[in-house]
Amino acid sequence: MKPLKRLIQFLIIYIAGIGLLWATKYSLGLSDYLIPPPHELLKTLRQDGLDYLLASLNTLVVAIQGHALAIALACVVGLLGSMRSTIGAITRTAAYNLQAYPIVAVSPIIFLFLGDGLASRLIIAALICYFPLLLSLIGIFSQPVDDIEHFFNETGMMNWRLRIGIRVFENIEKLITVLVGSGTMAMVGTIVAEFLAATHGIGYVIRKALYQDNLASILLALFLIGLCSSIYLSFIELFGALIKNKLQGDANNNEI
Amino acid sequence: MYIICKELSYSYPGAPSNVFSGVNWSIKGPGFFSLFGLSGVGKSTLARIISGNIAPKSGKVTSGNGKILYSYDSERLPGWLSIERHLKKTTPAGNSALLEGLISGYGMGRLLRHRFSALSMGQKNRVNLIRYLVQDFELLITDEVLANVDEPTRYEILGSIKRLFPQKTFLYISHNAIEVARFSKTVYILPQASDGATALIHEVTGLDQHEGYVIDDRTVQGKVYEILRTASMEGTMP
Repeated sequence: MKPLKRLIQFLIIYIAGIGLLWATKYSLGLSDYLIPPPHELLKTLRQDGLDYLLASLNTLVVAIQGHALAIALACVVGLLGSMRSTIGAITRTAAYNLQAYPIVAVSPIIFLFLGDGLASRLIIAALICYFPLLLSLIGIFSQPVDDIEHFFNETGMMNWRLRIGIRVFENIEKLITVLVGSGTMAMVGTIVAEFLAATHGIGYVIRKALYQDNLASILLALFLIGLCSSIYLSFIELFGALIKNKLQGDANNNEI
Repeated sequence: MYIICKELSYSYPGAPSNVFSGVNWSIKGPGFFSLFGLSGVGKSTLARIISGNIAPKSGKVTSGNGKILYSYDSERLPGWLSIERHLKKTTPAGNSALLEGLISGYGMGRLLRHRFSALSMGQKNRVNLIRYLVQDFELLITDEVLANVDEPTRYEILGSIKRLFPQKTFLYISHNAIEVARFSKTVYILPQASDGATALIHEVTGLDQHEGYVIDDRTVQGKVYEILRTASMEGTMP
């Protein structure tokens, strides 16, 4: 099962990373201050595990909201950008040029205007995953599927909803991959926002731990971030697979 | 329905030479006509120009009133619908009986609940042809639309088209000299040209075979040779 596979892969990578840290620590005789020993990590887990988990879930909720906002916005702008009119051309040009600018650099302005609350985190999360999503959607919405569209064009039955439906259906796997990729970006965006100035979330926790040089807290936070991200991305993949199966049918049973 | 082409030329963007140049040609329907030629002479390009899918580099196409449709062999149906739902959705009101007749006549009845991707290549060709035949058209240009259908079934389909649509005009594009010889009223042949740009379209009278009308093999063979000889002739203007 693919979602479970993603979780297992994360656990393997995390354990391998921690194992490498400890192998380095014990082979080179590094201090507990530099790399915390296993018992210190367990102690941090017992003391702060619940708070960190709640902070991670808080980040995840904001990331999901930001992701949803970015998807909705990218769909609307992507539809405009796929048009052959002047509006479409302007939208495409604007999207290609704006995406080249690093959104993180704009974050301080957002914090200045909106403060360090939910709105800033949400907007930064949405903006960071929005542009890659938008460019992919413009690409998918603008790419004709001639073999299917020809009949509808010839007979005059084509309308914009059918055209988009055909293009989305033909690119469903690419679309799911883009959604999963942008989900990761939303998580990254939220953590970056929290790390920069917010007062909630796991990014804020990491910032505090960094000021205290507390690597055990950071390692615990990284574990929870990976866990939350894996669960969210697995959910998107599962949802995508369900839609794909519903639309395309089981390969072994093509009767509807 | 009539089609008149005057001084038609076309070249693909970036290509060094024309596909054809200065072609003057006309068709007057109704009837079953064929466009024949060796690979790469520009049959599909000419058909796309006539149907308005692409614009000529120079020259003009005029046609009579009525809808011109162009269909080709690699077309697909949307994958999220069954064959049946797609056909019902795209068949104009009033043509349901025709649709039912074609489905049963072309042996597609048992496959209606399948998706397009589950069909064989020949079945795909037949479904695609059916959805065009039930549209309201005056001229249907079919570009290799039965390329993957077995010969006996193909002959049956061509015979039935001529029986069911005597008042419509068909321009059948094919590489198969036997079937164009048998079924066409006139075979229009795009010949090869030494500089790659055909200027002439030759005409060969076809055998215009109908359902139940048997033509002996020797006659067909003679016509096929005539078509193939014409297709190999020099196609540039003297």
